[in-house]
Amino acid sequence: MARINPDFTEELRDYGAFDPNACYNCGNCTAVCTLSDEDNSFPRTMVRVSVLGLEDEIKSSLDPWLCYYCGECSTTCPREADPGELMMSLRRYLIAKYDWTGLSGLLYKSLTASIIAFLGLAALVIWFGYSESFNLEVIMPQGHLFEMLAIGSVFTIILLPNIIHMWWLSMYKPGVKASIGLYFKALGDLIVHMFTQKRTLGCDDNQFRWFEHFILVLGYLSLLFTTVFLNWFETHNLFIIILGYVESAIIFVVTFDFVKSRIQKNKEISKHSQPSDWLFVIWLLLMGLTAFIVRLFIDLDVLENNSWMYFVHLIVLVQWSLIIVPFGKWSHFLYRSFAMYFQKIKELAV
Amino acid sequence: MMQENIKTLEYDVLVVGGGIAGGESALNLANLGYKVLLVEKELSIGGKMILLSKVFPTLDCAACITTPKVSEIARHPNITVFTGAEPLKISKKGEHKFDALVLQKPRYVDVDACTGCQLCEEACPVSVSDEYQYGLVGRKAAYIPFSIASPRAAAIDIESCILCGACEKVCPPNCIDFTQTEIKYLVKIKSVITATGFKLFDPLKIPRYGYEKYKNVITSMQMERELAPTRPFNTVLRPGDGKMPDNIAYVLCTGSRDKSVGNPICSQICCMYSIKQAQLLMGALPMADVTIYYLHIRAFGKGFNEFYGQAQDMGVEFMKGKVGKITEKENGNLILRYEDIEAGVVKEAEHDMVVLSVGILPNLGMEEVFDNERLKLDPFNFIDQADILASPAKTSIEGVFVSGTASGPMDIPDSILSGGAASAEATSYLRKENTI
Repeated sequence: MARINPDFTEELRDYGAFDPNACYNCGNCTAVCTLSDEDNSFPRTMVRVSVLGLEDEIKSSLDPWLCYYCGECSTTCPREADPGELMMSLRRYLIAKYDWTGLSGLLYKSLTASIIAFLGLAALVIWFGYSESFNLEVIMPQGHLFEMLAIGSVFTIILLPNIIHMWWLSMYKPGVKASIGLYFKALGDLIVHMFTQKRTLGCDDNQFRWFEHFILVLGYLSLLFTTVFLNWFETHNLFIIILGYVESAIIFVVTFDFVKSRIQKNKEISKHSQPSDWLFVIWLLLMGLTAFIVRLFIDLDVLENNSWMYFVHLIVLVQWSLIIVPFGKWSHFLYRSFAMYFQKIKELAV
Repeated sequence: MMQENIKTLEYDVLVVGGGIAGGESALNLANLGYKVLLVEKELSIGGKMILLSKVFPTLDCAACITTPKVSEIARHPNITVFTGAEPLKISKKGEHKFDALVLQKPRYVDVDACTGCQLCEEACPVSVSDEYQYGLVGRKAAYIPFSIASPRAAAIDIESCILCGACEKVCPPNCIDFTQTEIKYLVKIKSVITATGFKLFDPLKIPRYGYEKYKNVITSMQMERELAPTRPFNTVLRPGDGKMPDNIAYVLCTGSRDKSVGNPICSQICCMYSIKQAQLLMGALPMADVTIYYLHIRAFGKGFNEFYGQAQDMGVEFMKGKVGKITEKENGNLILRYEDIEAGVVKEAEHDMVVLSVGILPNLGMEEVFDNERLKLDPFNFIDQADILASPAKTSIEGVFVSGTASGPMDIPDSILSGGAASAEATSYLRKENTI
């Protein structure tokens, strides 16, 4: 027996949902959605469970991850209930629920907490620089070491347990019976979705956005690889140097376009921006831009006299990898891919 | 300003709009002895009702109710009818004193002399879309608006006319007169009734339903014409290829209860006229399936719910879910995508004809005609009823009354009731003059 919770929409509003109570259940949103199909009909069902406050159903659902927010449901909603933004808010809600530390929820709901966290980490980096007398010879290898440690620890301590938690909520608890073999069989889907996000192409008007997103993901992942494993900042290999320039340029050019459309609000998807959305695109832009400039300063031989530039980059990097990646919008990338993976397993198991 | 062409006329009441509500108001007032001027912008009185097939929930023939009323209005000694005319300006000069400037547009036909023989129609070489058949067929530039029009006289559509003179040559009573010009009248009246009716929602505003792009997607008013006794094809056909449809879908709430197209309110008639048409289709095409896609069925009037039940018993299928989009197949059939709300599953269904049950929108314009007092509109741009419960026909101007759908969506029985209420309130207003 489900227990309804009318106060739930109030909680959801903290994550950005517009007005799900305006919904009169006509199903227009589900019918116009090109990604919705007989097995996964959304978003109306998600609006319904949100209005009723059936939290267990929401936590076990993978549907919010199947939506790529083309915004068609919101522009055609007869009640202006904004189902597209509701799906986005449910994704934020789910990120908060998957996260065992509870920090995601805190950072999503409270802008003050986010600001304190960002300022705190910046202060920490400056203090560290001060303690090493701002000597780049010492600090740059330390920064490189930090990158490697951060990747390993964020993944093992935060993200991996959260994915297991997600699996527990969406697969184990609802009683999905799938053999280990199916988990291997569906592995291809996980890889493909993670690197191509090809499902976006199912949205009617999303071809260009998919392309932007696709090269951004490629640029980001390869820059990560280039800086961490090929040690871009300290290498003398011309090929790697140029590769890093191209990758970081892709990141700040594409994210510049994302920031621009969020400012102009000309597309349905960019009409509503939560602090978490701004932080994500701006910090990604800063990541690409500062990395590009740092390497440029190295090549022009001016970094010695402008060591502040490296600190700007390091601050952005630390904030990015310790806040946005584990607790912010970055984790979308991971959860969405795993949602597709789990969904595929569910389909195979039937 | 050419003051010399303005003729002065005097009446007790000016009724603006000659539909079923305005007609009812005019008849009641005339029967009480008041002199009424009925001004209608179309070429015939009878409004939208005269074009309908049957009425719900009794399935009486709409024309059989409207035509006797229309004849009575046309012949009543106390009623003067101007068709093809509209008020340009109405000024209130004091209580029981209004001056109206009425424009009579030229018809290019002497209505009194025309016998309605239709020879001009045969002679005219110009074919255009017939607005009185809602674009289903064509008409000539010299034409009788429709077979049961009142007055049943020809008119020249001067916009489409090529001035060849063919109609003039064949007209037996020589009633075609291309020298007619606009005439303005200054009408002195004591009270005004606005019965300006409604307009239908234009489904082009919802491109995902493909109206006009897909030929077999029509509006409910077009289906109404296909079902009427004076129908153009004498049977029900789909416009794309003239095939008799056997699987018809109705899309309710097209342009009603939809904030995304700017009309958040219920049109009050679409559920019932769709159910009525479904029943008529069951009779006209006994092998056809009819499915009505609805949000909620609002069968609130006397006998309405029974009428809804009757449609279900006849085999009309009711599917809860708003149609999200329509796509066309190569053979002209249409795929409707909707969510089956009961099951919570998105589905697609194929139909060979789709009827968009279009909603009601306000007919704007009257608020600009009153020049020294403000005719208030309600939040949805219908004429505001100043005292909706106690005196529903009163508007924001003392002595100006509202009749029928000019004040909001309503069905035919309610429109006639409203027309009656407006005439009663106008009467009591007129009586006050004598007691002062």
